[in-house]
Amino acid sequence: MEAVLHNLGLGLEVALTPTNMMWVFIGGLLGTIIGMLPGLGPATGVAVLIPITYGMNPGTALITMAAVYYGAMFGGSRASIMINTPGDASAIVSCFDGYPMAKKGKAGSALAISAIASFVGGMIGMVCLVFFTEPVAAMALKFGPAEKFSLMLFALTATITLSEGSILKGFIAMGIGFMLATIGIDGQSGAIRFTMGIENLQDGIDFLVVMIGLYAVTEVFKNFSAMDVKYDIDAKSIGRVWVSWADFKKSIGPMLRGSPLGFLVGVLPGAGGTIATFLSYAVEKSVSKKPAEFGKGAIQGLAGPESANNACSCGALVPLLTLGIPGSGTAAVMLGALMMLGVRPGPILFEQHPEIAWGVIASMLVGNIMLLLINLPLAVPLVRLLKIPQRIMLPLILGMGYMGTYFLNYSSFDFVLVSLAALAGYMLVKLSIPIPPLVLALILGGMTEQSFRNSLTIANGSLSIFWEQPISLGFLILAAISLVWALNKQKKLMKMPSEPEEEAD
Amino acid sequence: MIGKWKVLGGLIATAVVAATAAPAFAEDWKPQRPIEIIAPAGPGGGWDLLARTMQKALTEEKLVDKPIIVTNKPGGGGASGWNYLKGKAGQGEFLAANSPLILQNNLLGKSDLTYKNFFMLANLMAEWEVVAVKADSPWKTGKEFFEAMKKDPSSMHIGVGPALGNDDHIQFLTLTKAFGADPKQVKFVVYPNTAAEQIPALLGGHIQAITISLAETLEQVKAGKLRLLGVSSPERVKELPNVATWKEQGVDFVFPHWRGVMAAPDLSPAQQKFWTDTIDKMVKSKTWKTSLETLGWDDYYTPTKGYNDFLAKQDKEMRESLTDVGLIK
Repeated sequence: MEAVLHNLGLGLEVALTPTNMMWVFIGGLLGTIIGMLPGLGPATGVAVLIPITYGMNPGTALITMAAVYYGAMFGGSRASIMINTPGDASAIVSCFDGYPMAKKGKAGSALAISAIASFVGGMIGMVCLVFFTEPVAAMALKFGPAEKFSLMLFALTATITLSEGSILKGFIAMGIGFMLATIGIDGQSGAIRFTMGIENLQDGIDFLVVMIGLYAVTEVFKNFSAMDVKYDIDAKSIGRVWVSWADFKKSIGPMLRGSPLGFLVGVLPGAGGTIATFLSYAVEKSVSKKPAEFGKGAIQGLAGPESANNACSCGALVPLLTLGIPGSGTAAVMLGALMMLGVRPGPILFEQHPEIAWGVIASMLVGNIMLLLINLPLAVPLVRLLKIPQRIMLPLILGMGYMGTYFLNYSSFDFVLVSLAALAGYMLVKLSIPIPPLVLALILGGMTEQSFRNSLTIANGSLSIFWEQPISLGFLILAAISLVWALNKQKKLMKMPSEPEEEAD
Repeated sequence: MIGKWKVLGGLIATAVVAATAAPAFAEDWKPQRPIEIIAPAGPGGGWDLLARTMQKALTEEKLVDKPIIVTNKPGGGGASGWNYLKGKAGQGEFLAANSPLILQNNLLGKSDLTYKNFFMLANLMAEWEVVAVKADSPWKTGKEFFEAMKKDPSSMHIGVGPALGNDDHIQFLTLTKAFGADPKQVKFVVYPNTAAEQIPALLGGHIQAITISLAETLEQVKAGKLRLLGVSSPERVKELPNVATWKEQGVDFVFPHWRGVMAAPDLSPAQQKFWTDTIDKMVKSKTWKTSLETLGWDDYYTPTKGYNDFLAKQDKEMRESLTDVGLIK
């Protein structure tokens, strides 16, 4: 304990030098802006910074890059809330309730609570990073392919059962997502699957392209078809960027549950922010007394995942700092940049370069406070966007969506994909097939398949590996429970036809 | 009216440029526009590091007088970026990083591109391949390990990533054969993320060994968590003097995991000369040498002629290994 505090003090000494403070500010601001733009994620932001880091000492370089990383986590949900366009995969969940809140005229509250929840998540994540790095890193090693497969299975069933409407439609959506995920070269056999001879499909379908299509562009179609409908937005309340005490109180529980959850998921190799946010949403909806409010602007559905997301980015630094293995795409870019500076993160980084490892951790403390201060005032100009008339806003969103698509892979072929995804999205909305299971299955499909096959290889073909490992068995039981719970709920709904179910929009 | 003047102005300008550039072209060529080094993958990986190290060395040593940009063009295991380079035929301002994948993609039928489509400028650096086991595992040498594998192939699971048919995989196949085991019976567990997830999987005891490049295991070995059974370098590596080479263990196998640089096809002799000379100066510069040392890369400089011969030889050897296990039919 004393050693930890001593080290943290050493870290703060590094983090609080004026140069490093300045870089935390610049990095955080840059990250926030990059996170807001669809298609530009934290990995791009960090990559842009690489040439600037050449002249820095490794500690400052890592601090700056970490600031961009969590800055992007703060910014990622801005676009989700304002225009239903997630900045990256871990901001998808913020659309579920953030956007309905904005439509109801509570954009200011939504932006404020997402910044506060991000702050809380970041702080709790940082505390976990300080005190639990070693035990948690040891735990993550126990996670083999069987555990990973069962965790993903649980995340998927939870998402299906929690989405609105019929479970069958949820499964249909998941099936489509899985099918799309199989397109491309199979890493195990090298077989080229379902590309129909189109070379551009060899790498598979980029889920971010599909995501921009399904959310941003579909949203434009939806609004276009209802262009004349006036939203009932109180012009005065738009400008207020703060949360009421009642709303804040509702968000405390979700934030305290979401943060540790996000941190733990972040530590697992290759799991990442998507699973963390979806699981946190599922948790909040199942513990809520009024689950029907979810998807229609429940502040809990925004606060939980937002804090899970930021805590997750702290968790992702655990494998980077302790094993030298990046837990996320962004961490991979940071690893590359550090190698150019002659520092190799690994099990002995804390001994060899304590000032770097602890400097980064301490800078997160400083950075989180700064980001809260950047993000709260930034919400004021953002909410004004809502006053822009739709006939100007819709083309803008369309343009941003296509621009973001191009930035992902610099491939014009993706324009075709994004347009197809948007048309499909509009059809799904009309058929009231939920979109989240589709996106999640597309994101996790490849990993789910590969961890299933890896489990079978390791067990020499026996399926028993999935229930012989206790952690894996636990997730399978959770998955089963969530299914039974959902089937039960649906049965009840069907028995009460008198209460008309609200059409999901 | 304005349009007309613009066109006329443009024509004059073109004529002037053509007139001044033409004589220079005949004897001497140098880049006319900013130079683009293509890293055919996302930022952070080996190609990206190589492209950025070149950018740094060429700029800081003032070997070119035009600015250099690095562009990331991920996709197709390099094919997207390389196709882009192929489209710049005859233009001397475009270079791209490459690696054995340019051979392997073609061998496995993933891409029509081969090294013959480009001007192969130079092989630049090499890392070495290793087989790693957990530090507390019973096997200390390649021989012990492969003997155990011969006895019970189903108890040995080998981690490899991100896809079969790469250098890591080919190293293990060649070793299996050389140590007298059956490559077809090896149980490979594929970790498709580029994040080297096979390392935590090995540390957690889910698999028994990994075949991977040396650099990725270095910190774990120093920390006493992993043991290396052998390394594919010709001599022992300076940083790890206790790790025996495969050659010392009686297997005639030296296997570089190399990366090099190539230029667009159809370059004029003057353009080719400019780049071969410039790269030659670059690899001898101090900036380049320091960067290689920082990154832990070995100098593997081979200019055009030797590079092409080397590629032809490797192409043949890899075809044999991959045909053996049925990845090439």
